[in-house]
Amino acid sequence: MKHGFRQCMAWLHTWAGLIPGWILFAVFLTGTAAYYRGEISAWTRPDLRMEDNGPEAAMLGLRELQRIAPDATGWLIGLPTSSDPLLRLYWRPPGERRFRDGILDPATGRVAEAGRTMGGEFFYRFHFELHMPPIWGRWLVGLCAMSMLVAIISGIITHRRIFADFFTFRPGKAGHRSWLDAHNLLAVLALPYHLMITYTGLLTLMLMYMPWGMQLAYKGDQQAFIAEALSIAPPPRPARQAAPLTDLAPLVAEALRRWPETGVRRIGISFPGDANATIVLGRGDRHELAIRRRELVFSGTTGELRLATGNDAPAVQTVGVAYGLHFARFELPFLHVLFFLSGLAGTAMVGTGLVMWVAKRAPKATERRHFGLRLVETLNLGTIFGLPIAMLGFFWANRLLPGMLDHRPDWEIRIFFALWLGAYLHAALRPGRRGWAEQAGIAALLGLLLPAVNAATTRHHLGVALPAGDWLMAGMDLGFLGFGLAFALAARRLWQGADRPVATRQGGHLRERGI
Amino acid sequence: MVSAAFRARMRGWRWPGLLSRIVAAVLGGYAIGALVSVACAVLLPLPRSEAVVIGMMLSFLAYAGVVLWVFAARTAWRAWAGLLAPGLLLAASWAGRPV
Amino acid sequence: MAPLAFGLAYAGFLALALAMDRHHRDLLGGVPSRMGRLLFRGGGWMLLGLSIAPCCALWGPSFGAIAWCGLLTLAAFTLVSLTTYAPRAALLAAALLPALGLATWFRLS
Repeated sequence: MKHGFRQCMAWLHTWAGLIPGWILFAVFLTGTAAYYRGEISAWTRPDLRMEDNGPEAAMLGLRELQRIAPDATGWLIGLPTSSDPLLRLYWRPPGERRFRDGILDPATGRVAEAGRTMGGEFFYRFHFELHMPPIWGRWLVGLCAMSMLVAIISGIITHRRIFADFFTFRPGKAGHRSWLDAHNLLAVLALPYHLMITYTGLLTLMLMYMPWGMQLAYKGDQQAFIAEALSIAPPPRPARQAAPLTDLAPLVAEALRRWPETGVRRIGISFPGDANATIVLGRGDRHELAIRRRELVFSGTTGELRLATGNDAPAVQTVGVAYGLHFARFELPFLHVLFFLSGLAGTAMVGTGLVMWVAKRAPKATERRHFGLRLVETLNLGTIFGLPIAMLGFFWANRLLPGMLDHRPDWEIRIFFALWLGAYLHAALRPGRRGWAEQAGIAALLGLLLPAVNAATTRHHLGVALPAGDWLMAGMDLGFLGFGLAFALAARRLWQGADRPVATRQGGHLRERGI
Repeated sequence: MVSAAFRARMRGWRWPGLLSRIVAAVLGGYAIGALVSVACAVLLPLPRSEAVVIGMMLSFLAYAGVVLWVFAARTAWRAWAGLLAPGLLLAASWAGRPV
Repeated sequence: MAPLAFGLAYAGFLALALAMDRHHRDLLGGVPSRMGRLLFRGGGWMLLGLSIAPCCALWGPSFGAIAWCGLLTLAAFTLVSLTTYAPRAALLAAALLPALGLATWFRLS
């Protein structure tokens, strides 16, 4: 009976992994990039970086908000941190529900007009919304994540020789054996990460996926639940009576005195200029694992401290740790690299799994390849190499599109999707190893030349960043070079063996990209 | 290569059975997960925000467990029966909650 | 101290690998005796356990535990790549990496 159970789990593992596989690959890769979301955002707007996050920066943001949105019903200032060195401004015009946003140019003290971009936000949002309407994208990603959780558990059950094969990799073996080894290694050695990231990913949107307990216990009042769970002060109502806003600087100084290590991350001002205005200072979240909402609530007119919020109850705390693990916002560079590498391992695990499905079913040279196999092969190449091409193309577009172009952020995204679509078309027209080699070559060129494009278009290239010890800009460029190099090696290897049948593809290129 | 037990099992996996299993896994799993989140929210003797959060956290594990069960069960009928039993139990706990 | 943790974890995994017939044959030739197998296995687990100490000393208990998981993964991947492509270097690294880790630790403290 035992034998049969395992076979069932193997069947489940195959299909729960394959069907959402391409989406999972994209979610993993863009999510891995989003570990450096702040850095990407700064790289895409190199002239807007600022380091100061004290009272002066807060005043700078406040003055600009007073200038551009004096009658807004809400203001929000996001102060820079060293991994996300941009000062973000948000304001809600009267009568609107959504906030608008901009980034402050420290040179002029105004919201920046030129060089608009989604920056790292694009990869971050794509990672859980797939650039679809949020409700569709989030449900789709949620279903895929659930499938991933099932695939991981059934994979563990299936993998009988989990300890015996712990260190086994046989790249020379024919057929799907070496792919199986690579897939097992990527899965087993980073297993704690895979389980953690999948489960905590589901938890980040749990209130959307599983609201039923909350619906019942709070009679459908989601705001009441959030207020209770996160211990948030209820939003104020406007008095409809004008009153000047108090000075912000002493409040920020008070917060910095209470939170000397973490600092202030967010400043929210509701109904500025109203007698009932409130100022909420949110604590920085870059120095501890658990993401917990901690706020100081001040009166907006007198500057008197009304409330210090925060919930330390164990279950809510656990969720805070889960979010901390998933978002990895903490500023510990080495740990961040480990998360990034683990994310790449996850991406490569999904990729090797997809390729293995084909390698296992590859017919002999004389046989016809049926439609399903061709489809999976096309989707594999277009996703596994096409998505990196599209992502690198996004950075190219960021540097080469004219600064004052209308709807510039949309054009960057259009170029991203155009390249990706092109990769699928190419994959459909050029099946087999040669197609893989060509796309790897394109990705290599895009990666290796990106620092040169950066040097030609900005003053923040490697020649400047390295001597100045500017590790943010230099790190991004070096990263592009590293990926370009890995793709170049993969391309060379794939090209050399292009005459051999596809089934004996070796494990090299994905492993190089994975680790 | 393939064992007799597995082949016997695969016989029950023709399309109607498979389709019914997929429905049981995707929708039934979600339903059990939702019931777990509700039962925790109602039954756990904790502050309600804590009970709700614990329910949400457990619901995804329950969902995954149901999917594994549905595809491990010998027949599609057994898979469904295995869903109904805990489903009814959870629903009863919800219905009999102290008001 | 991160290099020390990495070196200990690497050496630990290598010892565990040497306790297995296949890897012992590939790296040292022959199969380990019963005694040797026990020693490799015990030593391997001990080194893996030890490697958490520098992590916690450096990052505190919560971040330390996470860094430890990440370093274990990294060490295991390094070991697999080395045993596959440069088996002799894999053995050398087991001695060099912890020593290097110790050296950087003393230099810093």
